[in-house]
Amino acid sequence: MGKTLYLLSQSQLIRAIKTNDTSVLKQFYVANYPKVETLILKNSGTIEHAKDVYQEAFILVWTNVKNGKFVPQNETALQGYLYQIAKNKWTDVLRSKSFKNSKSLDSITLRVVRDEEEDNEPKNTKLEMTMEAFKNLGQPCKQLLTTFYFEKKSLRDIASELNIEESTARNKKYRCMEKLRTMVLASKNT
Amino acid sequence: MKNKNNDISQEMLEAIERYINGTMDLKERKDFDDYLKIDSDFRIQVEEIKTILSGIETQALKEELNVFHQDIENQQNKKDNYKKIQFLKLSKWVAAAAVVIAMVSIWFFSSSPSQKLYAKYFTPDPGLPTTMSSTNNFDFYDAMVSYKHGDYKKAIEKWTVLLETKPQNDTLNYFIGMAHMNSKDVNRAIPFLERTVQSQDSFPLINEANHYLGLAYLKEGNIELAKKHFKLSKTDSSKKIILELTD
Repeated sequence: MGKTLYLLSQSQLIRAIKTNDTSVLKQFYVANYPKVETLILKNSGTIEHAKDVYQEAFILVWTNVKNGKFVPQNETALQGYLYQIAKNKWTDVLRSKSFKNSKSLDSITLRVVRDEEEDNEPKNTKLEMTMEAFKNLGQPCKQLLTTFYFEKKSLRDIASELNIEESTARNKKYRCMEKLRTMVLASKNT
Repeated sequence: MKNKNNDISQEMLEAIERYINGTMDLKERKDFDDYLKIDSDFRIQVEEIKTILSGIETQALKEELNVFHQDIENQQNKKDNYKKIQFLKLSKWVAAAAVVIAMVSIWFFSSSPSQKLYAKYFTPDPGLPTTMSSTNNFDFYDAMVSYKHGDYKKAIEKWTVLLETKPQNDTLNYFIGMAHMNSKDVNRAIPFLERTVQSQDSFPLINEANHYLGLAYLKEGNIELAKKHFKLSKTDSSKKIILELTD
């Protein structure tokens, strides 16, 4: 698997990130995990920590590439960037007050650290709130919005898959978005 | 404002999406930009939709990552299983080795006192000196040569022929018995040695005969008979064995 990854150029990875090509993203994800796991396990972390930190780092890389905040400068830039972010995140955890205070490491520690971070970045809460709302959205809507916004399938394809008219699919999508927006607004007001 | 946020038409939503995705044509985009400039509420609305779109994508990715991760976990489980199998394979060998060791030591310690004594005290009888002159007993000494060469089978064959004519001959019985013992055939040795020691004649090797018979019984595990014959034997090594047996 690692070998196939070397065949993937940075531009292929960038394209895969922008279009959410899951098969390429998966290769990239699986190939770069072991190094991060080793780092965290060697530095008083657990496999749970490794998974959490790696996923956060992966999402951040994905976001920054999407926004054009990160542009790879060499053939292993994305791999290096991913590792560096994971490393920084783990360093933050190790330096955090709650980590130092806690005698035994557990998943709670990581969550507390994350909450501390969030306090510093209130801007992120909006996104987190949307994510939380989307997580809890009813399955049919969630499925439809995922296919459209994440997998980026056209309404026509979605309609034919669901065996409905394209206009029906379009209307469904709109209603699902309204539902989600209502949920986000509701959570904002609490 | 909240009310306004809650109220986005399908057309407006799709226009905002087109704007965010950068799929508007130049004219539409220019109009949209102009609208954004004059309406701050609209700007907020667009920002909110933007956040919602990235929220959907990010959450969808997050859930996808867990799917990706299962691959890693499966691989690790496979590795662990492989290690387990390797370990089981190894432990099978260890267990087999342990059984062998156990069996050997059981054999060594249980069957041992007598077996050990036997091994310690049994040295083959060197046989009688063969001289070129003893011509009248040529056949006997011919067999003795075989015996001395360690060819006990041939020696037994030759002596057995002689024994047919002199079944009570002490010397023949003794050496046939010894030849059997030397070929580690204690069972066959015992009857010959018994005949030797039961002989009424005075036999020059009677002590040796009793000693070897004792050893034969010892090897058979019959301690009582072994003791009896060691006692009858007056050799030093028999006395030593008796001491060891009574310890």
